[in-house]
Amino acid sequence: MSLLTLDAVCKSFGSTRIINDVSLDIEAGEKHAIIGPNGAGKSTLFHLISGRYNVSSGAIGFQGKSIHNLPPYEIARRGIARSFQVTNIFPRMSVFENIRCALLWSEGYRYSFWQLVGRQKKLNEKSFGILEQIGLSDKAQLPSGELAYAQQRALELGVAIASGAELIMLDEPVAGMSNSEAENAVALIRRITEGKTLIMVEHDMNIVFDIADRISVLVYGEIIATDTPENIRGNKRVQEAYLGEVPCDA
Amino acid sequence: MKKQFPIWLGFALALILLPQIFDTVLGISILNQMTIWIIFALSYNMLLGQGGMLSFGHAVYFGLGGFMSVHALNLIADEIIVFSITLIPLVGGAVGLLAAVFIGSFSTRKSGTVFAMISLGIGELIVASSLIFADFFGGEAGVTGDRTYGPPFFGIEFLQDAEVYYLGAFWLFVATLFMYLFTQTPAGRMANAVRDNPERAEFIGYSTRRVRFISFCAAGLFAGVAGGLFAINYEFITEENLNALTSGRVLLMAYIGGLGFFIGPIVGAVILTLMNSLLSNYSEMWMLYLGIMFLLTVLFLPRGFAGFIMMHQTAWQNRRLGTLILPYLITAIPASLFLAGFVGLVELSHKGDDTLSFFGLILGTESMLSWGILLTLTGIGALGVKLSGPRLDAAWVLANTVRSDNGGDAQ
Ligand SMILES: Nc1ncnc2c1ncn2[C@@H]1O[C@H](COP(=O)(O)OP(=O)(O)OP(=O)(O)O)[C@@H](O)[C@H]1O
Ligand SMILES: [Mg+2]
Repeated sequence: MSLLTLDAVCKSFGSTRIINDVSLDIEAGEKHAIIGPNGAGKSTLFHLISGRYNVSSGAIGFQGKSIHNLPPYEIARRGIARSFQVTNIFPRMSVFENIRCALLWSEGYRYSFWQLVGRQKKLNEKSFGILEQIGLSDKAQLPSGELAYAQQRALELGVAIASGAELIMLDEPVAGMSNSEAENAVALIRRITEGKTLIMVEHDMNIVFDIADRISVLVYGEIIATDTPENIRGNKRVQEAYLGEVPCDA
Repeated sequence: MKKQFPIWLGFALALILLPQIFDTVLGISILNQMTIWIIFALSYNMLLGQGGMLSFGHAVYFGLGGFMSVHALNLIADEIIVFSITLIPLVGGAVGLLAAVFIGSFSTRKSGTVFAMISLGIGELIVASSLIFADFFGGEAGVTGDRTYGPPFFGIEFLQDAEVYYLGAFWLFVATLFMYLFTQTPAGRMANAVRDNPERAEFIGYSTRRVRFISFCAAGLFAGVAGGLFAINYEFITEENLNALTSGRVLLMAYIGGLGFFIGPIVGAVILTLMNSLLSNYSEMWMLYLGIMFLLTVLFLPRGFAGFIMMHQTAWQNRRLGTLILPYLITAIPASLFLAGFVGLVELSHKGDDTLSFFGLILGTESMLSWGILLTLTGIGALGVKLSGPRLDAAWVLANTVRSDNGGDAQ
C-alpha cells in the first residue's frame, strides 16, 4: 500500500482551477520530485497535502487514512512535515528555540504548562543534535531573523525535519542559494531524509535527477507524467511542455 | 533557573526591604499599589508581549476577580464562610480564570484585529451588565468590604497598610515566579512561536487557537489575583475597575515598560504608579504628561524602557558603557531645561487667574514676561539638545563598535 495517495484532487480559487484532477501514489521510502513551470501549481499541491488549503474535490490519504481538509496541525501530528518556498520560521526566537519548538509535539509535550523546557534533557540534546546536522550549532542563541539567507533556509529545513516525520515535503529547498550553498544543502537533504519518504519541488534539474527515484511533471495544474528520471528525460510530452523551455545540461 | 536564583533572591529581598526605606504613609500606599499593578501588567503581557494578542478588555478579569473578592470579604465578615483573607487572591484568581475560560473559548479563535475587537466588545458588555446586575456590582457606587474580619493570620489582622503590603508582596513574588515559569514551559514557548508566526506553528503540530487559549486563561487567572489584592488593599471596588480605562492603563504599563522583556511590565507598572500617585498631587495635567510619554515611547523607544536599558548591553560587553555617561549628562542638561520650560508652559496655560510658582518665580497668565521666560527656556533647551545630539550619537556608535584589539567579532 502506498504511503500517500492523491485521488482526483482538484482545487479552484473562485472560478480559476489551479489543480485539476491530480492523482498520485507515493510509496514509502520513495524520493519523489515534482517539477513544472512557474505557476503550475506545485506549491498549491503541497498546501493541499499539508492542510493549508482544503481541496475542492477529490481525496488525499496518508497511511490508509483520509487526511484532506484536516487542519495543518492534525496532519503534522500524523507524520507529514514540510518546509516552505518562502522562509517561514519564528524570527524573534533563537535558532535553538526554533528547533526545540519544532520538536515539542513529537516528543510528547503537547500543551504542557507544568514542565520546564530547560529541564528536559533529552529534548535539549535532540535539539542540539539537529542544529549540528544543519550546521547551525554556533548560531544557536542568535535570533533566527538575523541569520543570513542560506542559514535561514537551513533552519527552515531543520524545523521541517525536526519532528522525525515519516513524510517530508520540501518546497524549493535550495532556491536562491549559491552553487556551493546548494551543494551543501543537497548533501544535507540526503542525510536527513535517509530512510524517510521525500517529496520535493525543485527547479534545478541536476538536483532533481540526482536525488529523485521518481518524478512527476505538473503543468497547468495537471500531472502530465510520473515516471523514473530516465523515462521522464525521454518523454516527448514533457520535453515539449517543460524541459524544452528550460535548457538543462543534465 | 539555577543561574537566576540570585535574581529571585534579590527580588525577594527588595520586596522585604522596600517598606523599610519608603516607610511613610504615602510610601507604603504606593508600594501597595505597585504590587497590584505589577501582577496585573505582567498578566497583560502574557497576552500581548508573549502571545501576540492585543486585548482592550483585560480589566474584565481583574475587575471580576476584584468584585468577587470583595464579596468574599463580606461573606467572611458575616461569618458565612470561614476563610483567611490572606487567601483572597486565590478567589480572585479562580474567578479570573473561570471568566477567561468562558470568554477565551470563543475569543481566542481569532487573532489580530478581530481578537482586539472582540476584547473591546466583551469589555463594553461587562461594563453594561455591571449596571444591570446591581446586586453583584453595586451600581455606580460599587461594593465595599472589610478585610479585618476572619481568622487572624498568625496574629495579624491587617489593620495596617504595612501588613497588607507584606501580604501583597508575598503574592507578587509567587505570581511573578509562576508567570515567569510559565514562559519556560512548552505552552509558554509555543505562545512565543504563535506570536512570531502562527502559520508555521500549525505545521509543527500546534493548534494556534489552543495555544492562545492557554495563555489567555493564565493571563485571566493572574489578572484575577491582582484584582483580589486590589480588593484587600482598597476594600472597595467599582465598575471603573473593569472598564476600558483600566484596560487601557494596563496596556500603557506593559507598553511603556517594554513588551519584549519579562521585566518590562514591572518597569512600566512602577513608572505609571509613581506618576499616578506623585504627579497627580502636583498637577491636574498629569494625564497629559502620561499621554506624551506614551507617544514618545511608541515613537522613540518601541521596545519600552526595558528595551532602552537592554540597548546598552553591547556597550557594556565592550566595556564602554562609561564613555556614554558624559555625553548623556551633557544632553540631559538642556533636555531638563526643555522639560522644565515645557511643563511650565502647560501648567501656566491652564492657571487662569491663578499664579504659578516656578522655581521661586511667580508667573502669571497675564504677564508677557512670564510667557517669555518659559518660551526662552524651552527654546534654549531644545537648541541645546539639538546641538549636543550629534556628540551623543557619535559616542553611542563608538561604544557599540567592537574594539579591534580584543579580537572578538561583532556577533
Ligand atoms: N490563494 C490563492 N488565490 C488565488 N490564486 C492562487 C492562490 N494561490 C496560488 N494561486 C495561483 O495558483 C497558481 C499556482 O501557484 P503555485 O504557487 O502553486 O505555483 P508553483 O508551481 O508553486 O509556482 P512557482 O514555481 O513559481 O513556485 C498561480 O497562478 C497562482 O497565482
Ligand atoms: Mg511554488
